[in-house]
Amino acid sequence: MLEVINLHKKFSNLHVLKGINTEIKKGEVVVVIGPSGSGKSTFLRCLNLLEVPTQGEIIFEGVSITSKKNNINLQRQKMGMVFQQFNLFPHMTVLENITLSPVKVKKMDVQKAREIAIALLKRIGLEDKAKAYPKQLSGGQQQRIAIVRALAMSPDVMLFDEPTSALDPEMVGEVLDVMKNLAKEGMTMVVVTHEMGFAREVGDRVLFMDEGVIAEEGNPEEIFSSPKNERTKAFLGKVL
Amino acid sequence: MKFAFIKNYYPFFLNGVKNTILLAFFAVLFGVFIGLFFSLMKLSKFKVFKVISSAYIEFIRGTPLMVQIFIIYYGLDRIGIKFPDIPALDPILGVDFADFMAGIITLSINSGAYVAEIIRAGIQAVDTGQMEAARSLGMSYFTAMVYIIIPQAFRNILPALGNEFIVVIKESSIVSVIGIADLMYSTQIIRGITYMPMEPLLVAAAIYFIITFSLSKLLGVFERRLRAGA
Ligand SMILES: Nc1ncnc2c1ncn2[C@@H]1O[C@H](COP(=O)(O)OP(=O)(O)OP(=O)(O)O)[C@@H](O)[C@H]1O
Ligand SMILES: [Mg+2]
Repeated sequence: MLEVINLHKKFSNLHVLKGINTEIKKGEVVVVIGPSGSGKSTFLRCLNLLEVPTQGEIIFEGVSITSKKNNINLQRQKMGMVFQQFNLFPHMTVLENITLSPVKVKKMDVQKAREIAIALLKRIGLEDKAKAYPKQLSGGQQQRIAIVRALAMSPDVMLFDEPTSALDPEMVGEVLDVMKNLAKEGMTMVVVTHEMGFAREVGDRVLFMDEGVIAEEGNPEEIFSSPKNERTKAFLGKVL
Repeated sequence: MKFAFIKNYYPFFLNGVKNTILLAFFAVLFGVFIGLFFSLMKLSKFKVFKVISSAYIEFIRGTPLMVQIFIIYYGLDRIGIKFPDIPALDPILGVDFADFMAGIITLSINSGAYVAEIIRAGIQAVDTGQMEAARSLGMSYFTAMVYIIIPQAFRNILPALGNEFIVVIKESSIVSVIGIADLMYSTQIIRGITYMPMEPLLVAAAIYFIITFSLSKLLGVFERRLRAGA
């Protein structure tokens, strides 16, 4: 459903992505790991064009989203994204955060959007926080709501950029649980993370990125138990 | 010094104060629209918009208000723009409506340049993650601006905007040169009639100070509320 062909990204002189090729299938959970600065975030952000690729093509559900004529707003409705820093809208309640885009972008009926939001909040056990403002919530709660906000658009794929890295350790679990459930329900996911346990347990495929390329990929068993690439070995040696 | 003249001439002062506040209020109000427009142009990714906006802002900030008001006062006339005289308003304003408009237009255009920079800074102070989150949900740049960025920028902008209002109240005294009966103009009239060069000026200074000082105190309270709230 998401095909990446020879993706390059440069920031002025800095060549960050040097030819990424991969295909993400429907229902697949792809975990992206790699050392800091290897281009993981840049890769993920290119997938919904938050970063505009310097070269290469990205095809989502049959549409070339990198094509000049394409209106990316349409595909972004189908691609949820969760950020390290949550990025909830601080001037809106939880409910408004979740319903804004369905109402303004999809022109959904307000009542309908609310019902969906409440149903989603119930699933993560935060329906009592509907009227709260983001800053009244813990980091873990905020991130779960950020996930729900993206889900309210009923996306076909969810992109996660280190969703637990800004959290206190005791809150990591609750966010990972929501993501695991999502994976179980068959959501297509691309997850950049340092949580190797999650990668192992939930990932269908692991991409190891280093210096702007996919240095090695395979199922979690292969990557974690018998990595072939020297750099993968070195990296896993440090983080495991 | 004798201040007995106040007893006879206070209506002049009152009318002047009223016009000064009217001028400043409308100048900042229109200035906000002008400023919003030019700040968005300056933040746009289109070079032409950026250049136009910068040119306007730099020109206004780089030339004296006194020069601007004469250019507009005579320039409007020269290019054939004539505001209708509304005699009904004359007794209220104590001045020709057309002249009054020239004053408001100049002050608005002038204030707009400063407000544009205030708004631009306020928008840029909003965390970039907010725009990214909004766009990632499928919102257009415009929708994200309207519902996400501008409401948050507003909080950064409001105190500076209040300050701008205070600045405009003081600066607006310059419109007296084209005969608009603001506080400064009224003061000059009283000086002429009474042959007292100093005392009316002291009264005017006191009035300006009372207005700006109470406004800035009021703003302080407001700002503290704003910071305490959500
Ligand atoms: N907007 C930008 N402008 C300039 N350079 C950038 C920009 N974004 C990222 N970079 C650079 O690109 C390189 C890759 O960054 P990226 O954020 O993709 O790495 P990462 O693999 O996600 O690292 P981390 O694990 O630390 O998040 C880094 O050297 C970074 O400094
Ligand atoms: Mg990153």
